[in-house]
Amino acid sequence: MELKNARMIFWGGTLVSAAIFGWMTYDFHQQGETLAHNSKIDDRVIAGKKVWHKYNCNNCHTILGFGGYYAPDMTKAYYRLGANNIIAIVMNPQEVYRNSFRKMPQLGVTKIEAQNLVAFLHWTANIENRQWPPQDEKYVKAARLRESHPEKLQKTDLVLGACGGCHSFANQGRDIAGDFGEIAKRITYDHDTLIRYMQNPKSVKPDSDMPPQNVSPETAGLIADFILSLR
Amino acid sequence: MTIKYQSQKVALPYMQLSLLLFVLQVIMGLWLAANYAFTLPQGLIDVFSFATSRAIHTNLLVAWMLLGFMGGAYFILPVECERELHSTKVAWLQLILFAAAAVTAVVGFLFGWTQGKPLLEIPVPLDLVIVVAALLFLFNILMTVLQAKNRTVLQWMLVGGVLFLALMYLFGIPFYSSLNTDYYYWWWVIHLWVEGAWELITASIIAFVIIQVTGVERKVVEKWLYVETGLFLFTGIVGTGHHYYWIGAPDYWLWWGGIFSALEPLPILLMVVDTWFHIRERKNPIVNQLLWVYIVALAIFHFIGAGLFGFVHTLPPINYYTHGSQITVSHGHMAFFGAYALLNLTVFYFALPQFKGIERYKATAGYWGFWIMAVSMFLLGLVFGVAGILQVYLERFLDIGYSTAHITMMFWFKVALFFGVCFLAGTLTTVYHLFTLKPVEEERSR
Repeated sequence: MELKNARMIFWGGTLVSAAIFGWMTYDFHQQGETLAHNSKIDDRVIAGKKVWHKYNCNNCHTILGFGGYYAPDMTKAYYRLGANNIIAIVMNPQEVYRNSFRKMPQLGVTKIEAQNLVAFLHWTANIENRQWPPQDEKYVKAARLRESHPEKLQKTDLVLGACGGCHSFANQGRDIAGDFGEIAKRITYDHDTLIRYMQNPKSVKPDSDMPPQNVSPETAGLIADFILSLR
Repeated sequence: MTIKYQSQKVALPYMQLSLLLFVLQVIMGLWLAANYAFTLPQGLIDVFSFATSRAIHTNLLVAWMLLGFMGGAYFILPVECERELHSTKVAWLQLILFAAAAVTAVVGFLFGWTQGKPLLEIPVPLDLVIVVAALLFLFNILMTVLQAKNRTVLQWMLVGGVLFLALMYLFGIPFYSSLNTDYYYWWWVIHLWVEGAWELITASIIAFVIIQVTGVERKVVEKWLYVETGLFLFTGIVGTGHHYYWIGAPDYWLWWGGIFSALEPLPILLMVVDTWFHIRERKNPIVNQLLWVYIVALAIFHFIGAGLFGFVHTLPPINYYTHGSQITVSHGHMAFFGAYALLNLTVFYFALPQFKGIERYKATAGYWGFWIMAVSMFLLGLVFGVAGILQVYLERFLDIGYSTAHITMMFWFKVALFFGVCFLAGTLTTVYHLFTLKPVEEERSR
């Protein structure tokens, strides 16, 4: 082969590939709205993305599968954990993961930052990325079902949607802080104390490990009814 | 063999600093493995988290790679252009800026000063320092090449690679409000570096070393260089698509990304073949066999780590399950070591004896260092691979939850930590050997 032909292979290969790539990049931007819903990015999503960067979350957690593999993927975290659990975990990791084999650092995330982070993760969870990661698809389906058919909701769905990040019931949810069946038999609180406990655990039980919950009095009331009905 | 041009000496501090950062990177890697292998106390990780350590580990990697490339370029260009470098003062200024930015960045990470993007954590003000250093470098090598006594393919391939590298870096600097777009351009830096610009630089530097060491005709080597780099860019540019399967990109990326990235091992295979040919057709005697061992190891390990380990999980149906798991870690370690760590070490083994005017050096420690590193990195890659397959199977096939899947990993990371310690021993031996090269006795008595 002549040097001239080799040079043509170089330029031909490079330019053809660059042209295809350039066109695909153009089309990627054209389809940004359909695939990523870019118009839904508001100030809170942007603020949340900055929180994500500020605390270097991406070096332990993957998102869209990129980053550190040390902690769970956050692409669909909004559906896996729910807003309330994300806020509780991010603000109180030392309590949530007290008995875990792997810890999360206490980062000093403020309430507002945590709420913005949720807005960011909510937007992220809606990127049309062909159902990745595989293990979180069941949470996405369940959450979408809850959103579209609220009338079909049972009390346990509500309770586990909000509390299932730490508590379990009937083999659902994560058993970090105890099963509702056992808790119901153990506790002596009345309905109103239970609501107060959810909103600010330490005001009822000073040595409680449970983080304060971001829950309205109405929802807390429903949850209290449910737990007390298990006695 | 001694250096032919005085200005080549400026490459020495680049190479020495590069080796130092290599050692630090490996030590930080051991710490990361310990984070996986054991449960660390909350108080410790609050101060020094996995995220901080990982940022340091990966940035040290990039820093020692780039220092090695820059030192290598400064070492080979005078010979290739048959003249002194344009300016050694600019080269020194560039080194000081680059090193200052790197040190500030690492200290900054410890105090939470970060841009929070994996591998591109360096905050914007430091990015600008890096850009200035890169511009100085580009200016210096471009001026040297422009005033060269002769024009060669290799010179332009090297300058082109560096220009490509510098341009792509810019895409990582801005803040993107959309995570989707953010990661689209993040890969313009990461992928188009390692499977584009860095391959151009590697191919040209290794072509130079092969011409010098084997004495094979330049015309033959440069022909291979054109074909290989052409294939690298042809497969590598559209091959970027294998990172876009699950980020929310149009469907046809699965096909384009899949097909082009399946072809990516091809140019590396060509590299193995042409290295083999050149060594067989060598015109020069083998003086320091260790250097030849490095040249062959670079070709083979490059092919296994980047080519084969990349290929096995690049096709979409497989990647759906393996994406973002320890399997990527396995591929990443094998590929960076095989393609770029070995390239830098090859260049150092080519250059460092010349600074000391050593014709033949004692190589025993060098062999030990090489074999310990190569074997432990291979085993490390396998261990990460086992951990990754387990993770994928438990978490994504059986769907038994993240914690359960990751608890099984603690054992495999204890094994990884062990091989990591072995690798560190190999690294220290190699670095010690490179810093203290001594001529063989018969030469001294002559």
